[in-house]
Amino acid sequence: MKKNMTRFATLAALAIMAQAGTAAAQDCSVKVGVVLPTSVDWGKPIAETALWVAEMMNEAGGVNGCKIDPILRDSQTDPKVGVDAAKALVDLDKVQLLIGAVSSGVTIPILTSVTAPAGVMQISCCSSSTRLTDIAAEGTTKGLWFRTFATSNVQAAVAAMLAKDAGMKKITVLYKNDDWGQDIGKLATAAFEAAGIEVAGQIAITDGQPSYRAEVTEALGNQPEALYLALYPKEGISVVREWISLGGTTKMIGTNSLKSDEFRDAVGLQYLADFIGTDTSAPRTESATAFIDSYTAHFGSAPAGPGLPNSFDATAVALLAYHAAGKDATGAEIAAKVPMVTDPAGEKVGGDVEGFKKAIALLSEGKSVSFQGGTGAVAFDANGDVSAPAVEWVFGADGAISETRYIPLEEIGAFLASVN
Amino acid sequence: MIQNLVDGVLTGSIISLGAIGLTLIMHMLRFANFSYAELLGIGAYTALVFDKLLAVLFPALSGKIGALTLTGTLALSVLLAMVVAGASAVVIDALVFKRIRAKADALSMVFASFGVALILRNVITLIFGQKAQLYSNDIAFAIVVSRDPLLLIKPDQVFVLLAALVLMGGLHLVLTRTTFGFALRAVAENPVLAQVSGVRLSVIVTSVWLIGGALSAAAGVFYALTNHLSPAMGHNFVLPVFAATIVGGIGSVYGAVLGGFIVGIASGLALMVLPSGYIPAMPFLIILFVLMLRPHGLFGEDQG
Repeated sequence: MKKNMTRFATLAALAIMAQAGTAAAQDCSVKVGVVLPTSVDWGKPIAETALWVAEMMNEAGGVNGCKIDPILRDSQTDPKVGVDAAKALVDLDKVQLLIGAVSSGVTIPILTSVTAPAGVMQISCCSSSTRLTDIAAEGTTKGLWFRTFATSNVQAAVAAMLAKDAGMKKITVLYKNDDWGQDIGKLATAAFEAAGIEVAGQIAITDGQPSYRAEVTEALGNQPEALYLALYPKEGISVVREWISLGGTTKMIGTNSLKSDEFRDAVGLQYLADFIGTDTSAPRTESATAFIDSYTAHFGSAPAGPGLPNSFDATAVALLAYHAAGKDATGAEIAAKVPMVTDPAGEKVGGDVEGFKKAIALLSEGKSVSFQGGTGAVAFDANGDVSAPAVEWVFGADGAISETRYIPLEEIGAFLASVN
Repeated sequence: MIQNLVDGVLTGSIISLGAIGLTLIMHMLRFANFSYAELLGIGAYTALVFDKLLAVLFPALSGKIGALTLTGTLALSVLLAMVVAGASAVVIDALVFKRIRAKADALSMVFASFGVALILRNVITLIFGQKAQLYSNDIAFAIVVSRDPLLLIKPDQVFVLLAALVLMGGLHLVLTRTTFGFALRAVAENPVLAQVSGVRLSVIVTSVWLIGGALSAAAGVFYALTNHLSPAMGHNFVLPVFAATIVGGIGSVYGAVLGGFIVGIASGLALMVLPSGYIPAMPFLIILFVLMLRPHGLFGEDQG
């Protein structure tokens, strides 16, 4: 408790300092709204990371010479609280850029009822729902929406890539009958079909059923060459054992949810020799290592917990775009400059004070840069989504889970582009 | 089609075993016992313990019987598990339900049964962990009975069906050929009249718990033999078992058997007309349908 209090006080002090500094050093400031769940333990480091980026940007010169004034509000991971906070920031503080939120359940109402109608740009570090992709594709977000967290789309695409590489022609998709499973099941089906693989059937597996015999029989009737399993270990065990006992193929592709010893032990290693797993991965790039080093140097401990590099990159990209657009820019103008910050052809700039200085100078000259952050080279698609590197994993001969192939961001991007 | 039908019969036999005890308890004690299905879990885990124990004590018995994954030790363990689960049912009744029965109404019993279910499930989790467990790690391969239409049957499933039928047949003989069976049926029909005729209610109640617990334990082991053990396994059976009981008519042993098969077969066949995501709704649909036609279940009687 005491430690929490201290951390919270530090955070508050940081915010006050940022404001005080504004008044002292410069006569102009740019308000930026930040709505993050600071009241939950994993949310606080995400917010601290965002404020740290603002601090470094200020050190590097700020937005058009103006100090960045981040106004941090707690979303409490509650949609009502988050929307209220965002509304206050947009209506009262007149921010043109809003960073947040974490949970998709909070991010979506903020986006659809506050930022998009007001023409404010919104960027999130951590919302993963593909519903956000749909909202963007429908045009509701008017190009004002971005996120630095990869959706289930990456895993679905990797599954299709691996299936294609293995020469599979016909696959049956078994998915967990919940939001996550339906989402990834649908995405995987689309990816397989786009890669020229026939999807012989899509079968929902509802958890907590006494028997999956009927579902497995149905899958068997499809006579697929392989199974795609978007399941959790509990039902995965029942389904796979049933499947194998009925003479089904041992060729299987599974999601990261099956990366479990329980699944391996109960199904039996001897039946999992042909099993291939997919997962997203931390990038293996210099900039990702640099982020970890500078984070450790700044906060005194290595980044732990979800979404920290994503929060870093979201804030950095948004603030650099703000600079490129100018201090009086509207949300739409800032959003329009995001491609200038994430231009693969632009000069590479890193995520430190030096990097920000260089980026600010280049952007001021009207040149584009390629921001290299904690998640690697950030690149958004038309719906404001990012991709992520992925890995292929298997259960090794000794039963240990081993990553057999690293698929860099570029390769996934190329595959997604080729199938779309 | 045939495959779904056969699978339904096999799943149905397990549900039937679970429903027999429930229907008797519900009828005699006049309350919906939601903790009843947890006895499946108790039975299955007890058998797991005895199986491991016996395999160490009598290694000679640990070989597989024929084409089954069932071992000699597990077969013995089933019998032991039936005794233990029956005894636990009696103990639970003595500790919880008997006391509430004396003081409160049926609704309190229903709530108490929810509590008992939670406790039992979590005690199993506490002892054995959330992890899925297996009697045997080997996967028993199905035998191709026919290629067109495709029909695959696992030897274990045939054993389970036969064993379930033997147990049901045994119960039938007890109910129809013994004095105890007459007494039991008399209490089920009319407890007051049965007592007037000299039947001791407490003895009958205890034996019903014993029988119900034992049959549930068998159902639990049979289920785990063809699937796997997990602390939630009893919980997963609550709905199908209740559906079987209600469809068959509360109080009717034969109704429960038939209800179990109906629920099993309908869930199996449902996949041919419904998307797989809706299969879990099948037991509800059957309950609705049967109750609309026969408000007291297929074999149930109007109790006025």
